[in-house]
Amino acid sequence: MSSATLYSVSYDLSHTLLFALGGLIGGPLGRLLENGDLVTGIGVLVFAALLLAASMLNTIVLIWYERKLLGRFMDRRGAMHVGYAGLLQNFADGLKLFRKHTTRPREADEVGFYFGPTAYLVTSLMIFGILPISTGWNSGPMPLSLLLALVIFSFAPLFIFVSAWSSNNKYSLMGGLRSAAQMIAYEVPLLLAVVAVVVVAGSFSLTTIVYEQQNYWFWGPLIVALIVFVAAMLAEMERIPFDLPEAEAELVEGWNTEYGGMLFAFFMLADYLRALVGSILIVLLFLGGWTLPTWLPGSLTAWPLAGIFWFMVKTYLVFGLFVWIRASLPRVRTDQLLRVGWNRMIPLALLSVFLAAALVTVRCVPVFGCVPSPGA
Amino acid sequence: MTEEGAPGAGTTTEENPVLYVARPMATAARQFVKSLVRPSTIVYPYERLEDPRFRTEVAVASGRPIGVGQVWDNYRGVHALNIATCISCNLCAFSCPDLCIEMVTVPGPDPKKPKKCPQIDYGKCSYCGFCSDACPEGCLTMTTRYELSTPRRAEMVYSPQRLFDVFRSKLPMNPIRLERPENEDRILLDPPLCIGCNACARDCPTQCITMVDVPKTDPKPGQKPAKRIWKEPVVNDSDCVRCGTCISVCPKECLFWGGPP
Repeated sequence: MSSATLYSVSYDLSHTLLFALGGLIGGPLGRLLENGDLVTGIGVLVFAALLLAASMLNTIVLIWYERKLLGRFMDRRGAMHVGYAGLLQNFADGLKLFRKHTTRPREADEVGFYFGPTAYLVTSLMIFGILPISTGWNSGPMPLSLLLALVIFSFAPLFIFVSAWSSNNKYSLMGGLRSAAQMIAYEVPLLLAVVAVVVVAGSFSLTTIVYEQQNYWFWGPLIVALIVFVAAMLAEMERIPFDLPEAEAELVEGWNTEYGGMLFAFFMLADYLRALVGSILIVLLFLGGWTLPTWLPGSLTAWPLAGIFWFMVKTYLVFGLFVWIRASLPRVRTDQLLRVGWNRMIPLALLSVFLAAALVTVRCVPVFGCVPSPGA
Repeated sequence: MTEEGAPGAGTTTEENPVLYVARPMATAARQFVKSLVRPSTIVYPYERLEDPRFRTEVAVASGRPIGVGQVWDNYRGVHALNIATCISCNLCAFSCPDLCIEMVTVPGPDPKKPKKCPQIDYGKCSYCGFCSDACPEGCLTMTTRYELSTPRRAEMVYSPQRLFDVFRSKLPMNPIRLERPENEDRILLDPPLCIGCNACARDCPTQCITMVDVPKTDPKPGQKPAKRIWKEPVVNDSDCVRCGTCISVCPKECLFWGGPP
């Protein structure tokens, strides 16, 4: 038998095998792909994967952005060595956390200990499926998308408390209690401030709210609502000056004291995901979303992906405001926090709702122009 | 955080919630703008404070820039050892408060008489500079080199040869002070105890001890003076570096420290 024959025999064998196997997989797949629902489903899956990648990437870049900004606020540079200007530092940190062993305290409750951070991260990620980023990046018409986003956003205290309780550590428990108290106290003014926006826009749909801001953005007429929203969002995101649940000076690391490795990374990611969600919500509700003011030249939004670009610019600027606040203000006390939340924020939020109602009644503001009729 | 709520009647920052938020934020914004162009920090491995371009930028409180010839020369970094001028007097090891200096044998010019030179363990060294102050010949000084990190502990120990390599790299060094105090102690001899064994003169690092012939005096009454010539050490005080080697090698403990003449 010559070598050529040998070669052809093996070639034939492998070719036949490949053909058979390929038919085995490809045949049913091709038949399934004629089904329109399946194609839609695969499209949704692809979109979800894209969304996951984009939100994770944004989160990690957001941490880098915060570190760089904070560095300049403190007269230093922040991360500098890994990647260009330290851009890859957080990827390296994430990789390190990913490789680390996860330890669980012996007395900790196993189910709650693992369920808490996972659910916290998953619910934070779920919000991104709802938020419209531009006309193209949009999960479709959803009349109550704002409510849904806020509902998912307010799951967090539960999971934080579950993980804090199951850690079986007094610092974790104190942090969890503080977190729950704080989030519940600030949930009310947050939602009332949203009500003011909804009253003016006449819709719970985030897309509609953005399109209602064609004439003017809502931050001007609803400045009281914006201030309440920003303060309440700071408390919800547990950022300085409202980072009492993880006050390093008193509670070691707050409710994530016992967590290390990837579970800690879950908390970290989810915290910054929520910060991103908060910034995105402020942009959507008060800063006109992906639109630009009409007096700017239209060529700024004429190119593809311009909506996403301007949206991200606004989001990062809003997050820069949070970093600015973090760099400036000291942490408040728990009683101050709760007193401000219940005694000051809620009356202010009610005032903002009243102002919004007045705005809808009057319809026209001297500087900003006229409101479109509600529900139009 | 009540920016709008209940504007306080008071004017202090504590009472007015708007000022409570606005003042720190204005301060932070000013700092941000100021450090946006160039923060105060330098990117260390890529930039160094001893670079000439930082000498004018980074000024110390007195207004004088940090640079070679100014403050920087007094930096106490890794030692430089000139093996050629080392006289193995042991004073550096004697003065070291951390016991990090060990005198080790190095091949000297005379193969029969190897030299002992300091070997420094930088894992223990506290960079106090006593050794270079004590060095009578000015052969052990400190340089401005400060990067000594190494992955192995054994590499923290600098042999005399490595210290000599540092010396040959011509780094900026601490000024060498060789002036000696006027009222220094001297080596004194208790003559009746001396047996003239020559040990002190043999081991003196500076060869400042010479054995001179001394007739054995004060014979017992009625006895003839001794025929044998006795030798006694005589110390040349200007050459003596006060290392005390002679005292430690004397078998009869007849040498001792004495006050100024």
